[in-house]
Amino acid sequence: MKYGEMEQKLRREARALLKEGRVDIIIGFENGSLKFTTTPLITSDEADIDRLVINPFINNNLSVFLTETKGRVGIVVKGCDSRSLVSLLQDNKVTRDDVVILGIPCPGIIDLDKVEQLAGKERDEIIDISWAEASVVVAVEGERKEFPIQEVLYDNCLGCELPTPKEYDILLGEPASSIGVDNQADSLTKIKQLKDKPPEQRWSYWRNEFNRCLRCYACRNICPACFCKRCFVEESEPQWLLPVPKWQDNLIFQVTRNIHVVGRCTDCGECERACPVNIPLRSLSREMYQIADELFHYKAGMDKDIPPLMATYEITDSEDLVK
Amino acid sequence: MTTADISHHPKFMAKGNVYLPHLAVVERIIDETGDTKTFQLNFKDEKLRNDFTFESGQFGMLSILGIGEAPFCISSSPTRREHLECSIRKVGRLTRALHRLSEGAEIGFRGPYGNSFPLDLLEGKNLIFVGGGIGLAPLRSLIWNAIDNRDRYGNIDIVYGARSPADLCFTYDLEAWDKDKTVNVATTVDAGDDSWTGRVGLVPVVLEEVEPPAKNSVAIVCGPPIMIRFTFPALERLGFTPEQILTTLEKRMKCGIGKCGRCNIGNLYVCRDGPVFSYAQIKDFVSSEY
Amino acid sequence: MKKHKIKKRDLAKLLSEWSNEFTILTPSRAEGATKWTKWDGVDTTFLDWYRNTTVPPKALFLPAMEEMFSFHRDKEGYHIEAPLLDTPKQLVFGIRPCDARSLALLDMTFRDAYEDPYYLAKREGAVLVGLACTRPYDSCFCTSLGSSPDDSSHVDLLLTDIGDEFLMEAITDKGNKLLTSTSFTETAGKAAETRAKESKETAYRKVTRKINVEGVKDRLLSCFDNKDYWEKVALKCISCGICTFLCPTCYCFDINDEFIKNHGERFRNWDSCAFPLYTKMPVENPRPEKWQRLRQKVCHKYEFYPMNFDVIGCTGCGRCIRLCPVNWDITLALTNLPAKAECEQEK
Repeated sequence: MKYGEMEQKLRREARALLKEGRVDIIIGFENGSLKFTTTPLITSDEADIDRLVINPFINNNLSVFLTETKGRVGIVVKGCDSRSLVSLLQDNKVTRDDVVILGIPCPGIIDLDKVEQLAGKERDEIIDISWAEASVVVAVEGERKEFPIQEVLYDNCLGCELPTPKEYDILLGEPASSIGVDNQADSLTKIKQLKDKPPEQRWSYWRNEFNRCLRCYACRNICPACFCKRCFVEESEPQWLLPVPKWQDNLIFQVTRNIHVVGRCTDCGECERACPVNIPLRSLSREMYQIADELFHYKAGMDKDIPPLMATYEITDSEDLVK
Repeated sequence: MTTADISHHPKFMAKGNVYLPHLAVVERIIDETGDTKTFQLNFKDEKLRNDFTFESGQFGMLSILGIGEAPFCISSSPTRREHLECSIRKVGRLTRALHRLSEGAEIGFRGPYGNSFPLDLLEGKNLIFVGGGIGLAPLRSLIWNAIDNRDRYGNIDIVYGARSPADLCFTYDLEAWDKDKTVNVATTVDAGDDSWTGRVGLVPVVLEEVEPPAKNSVAIVCGPPIMIRFTFPALERLGFTPEQILTTLEKRMKCGIGKCGRCNIGNLYVCRDGPVFSYAQIKDFVSSEY
Repeated sequence: MKKHKIKKRDLAKLLSEWSNEFTILTPSRAEGATKWTKWDGVDTTFLDWYRNTTVPPKALFLPAMEEMFSFHRDKEGYHIEAPLLDTPKQLVFGIRPCDARSLALLDMTFRDAYEDPYYLAKREGAVLVGLACTRPYDSCFCTSLGSSPDDSSHVDLLLTDIGDEFLMEAITDKGNKLLTSTSFTETAGKAAETRAKESKETAYRKVTRKINVEGVKDRLLSCFDNKDYWEKVALKCISCGICTFLCPTCYCFDINDEFIKNHGERFRNWDSCAFPLYTKMPVENPRPEKWQRLRQKVCHKYEFYPMNFDVIGCTGCGRCIRLCPVNWDITLALTNLPAKAECEQEK
């Protein structure tokens, strides 16, 4: 993966966009304050442009910042992020002319939790992580360990349906081949395991998981599809849910959130990554994504010119969901 | 007046679990305006009815058990103890539920919390009350308190206004104060109606017309944030120093005792270090936090 | 005060002995996220992986959700059932110095002016057995805030890792009692003390993240109205509650009532100044913008807490940096605070 080249091109283009006044603000990634992390860089200052990076750790879905950013934006998106952006275009939350899309062909993002498990060391005790041809090399004290890429990428990357943005203004590299072509099943392992359980077991599984939900709303706030100015949990008349984190209400919150974003969720996996107490949220959101595909043959963010899923109705639509 | 002078807090109900409400009966409900009612309360427990004391400026946390709790200033004066009075404006879930109550209903009361108007520092001074809308409620406690102890204070001037005649609160008190020859009252509305023959004008403007002297005076201000923001400069133009201006602030509150964190202005908690503040205390944070 | 030592392989026996008097709480990852749970009576393998928990020990004293009292209504009116505020005897085993310090900081608020009975009852019955750090994170910065990986100021007993043993130093009378009540420890000699000293010094050097907090209270006061700075710094914040919920010194809470079929409860639960509706009033919201809320969070810890209690309300545990989904870093925000002169210009 030619990260270095893409990075140089990105910096050139971003600088030009600001200098020529084609955008007011650039949203991209820069190196984070912790090892092997990146963090969003949101700036209108040309002097900051050299901090922009592209590497296998650019996990944030930056489209989440579009609904609150005023002015014209130059935004850096991977394949899945660009689908979220397209979904926002379909919802008229973002105007196409107001964004300059800098697309990154993405071969997958490294999941540090998986690396830690495999290498037997924690992130800040690993010396180096680098991408070789079809593997990732992890250097720890005294040795180098190599792992096939499929074992260290995020689950949703394994099921990637669009590694290279379809909608873009500037493509920063050669289109990437999708790891998801051969690894779809692996991306759904956890979900399949759940579906194989009988309902009572699934219920007690989720009861257990949602017992530790703190209602920090990181899952909601990091999601580009959750753009309501006032979320249903913030309503007091009527008060749908108490803010008290009882497992029943936590479960209702998450399920309702998934229903509200169906047709907009692109399985970027940010909700699960953001959760500080490791609740497997993607198992719910991805399943919702499957349902939307099965019932309505709709995948979010693939075509900016068609209406959003839940804004249209066909006579032929399945009615099985009403039981 | 410094923070040390103002932020004392008498702890009447400090014994026991401070979060447990005491039950009180709503004995009478008075309609003030279309969206404001005054509740006259008395504690269910007889001993509490007799022992309860508070000072002007303090507030209580009223609740409907099962719905929620919110702060309401005690608008009656400690010199008039037949019942406790709290005025409630209908703005959300809890207050709408409070407005639906009938006389005889039971509510929860926790308090009194907060500090109070520093009466010892006000003694001998002229008192200029500047109120807007329901902001008259906390001032009312001190106004009656001062009138009931009239010889302790100098002049008493009241400048009070509301959006319209229908929004004027405590009209029965305004009448009584107007009749009192030792008190000057200037009532105004932002916009009159067909039957209104009184003053028309914004409170800060009327205040400058009334032109109370700043020498040996203390101004006590309470009203909506926008009124307060214009009244402070008006008072300064009249020669009042920030130490001569008191106000009582309102913030969203849940615990009322300085623990839940949410009512702060800078390092001060409105529930614990206030709600009575001098302008000097909050000057640094007022522009950005209030 | 006594100094003992114990072999690591005897730890389970020691905890079992202590469990006759106390409920033992240890770090655990059995519930999906690392937090403090009741010890299962057997397992001490947490010693292999434990650096610090995700959910801080404040959750033991100020739980994420707590029933304050219950009530019911009948034809005679409401009846409130006051809670029984017992003081459970809990032994928090393995608490890190930064987290122990955080409890001391929380105590200041919960004792101030009015006493919070729920928090204080739990604190009264608790005994803290600290474990000095050997593997600080790259996000730790306790040494900049008057603490250290071996700070024993706020624990009753401090354990230091010296290889296959722990050195055990009693700090308070409660800690002394713990040592004298057990038969699995032996008196520590000079050799053990020397190894402990080395372990502490090594850990101290491993804390590489540092910030300069000299005059930070005044620097923040002068920057308070510098909207440009706070806006820029807050751009990537997503206003979730992670940093505040998982912070060991954050304590903001909400109070809510539930009422079903004439019976109800009043709860308190964690709340966050980062949430948009946290301070919203009917008339207006004092902090409608993200940058105002972020400024409140930083200033509360580094300006207002020092103004009220003469101490910075942060222990440098680094959880906020590690767990933030966008890697917002408070140490960078503080280091980059504009100088006073620049802020005056902005006004």
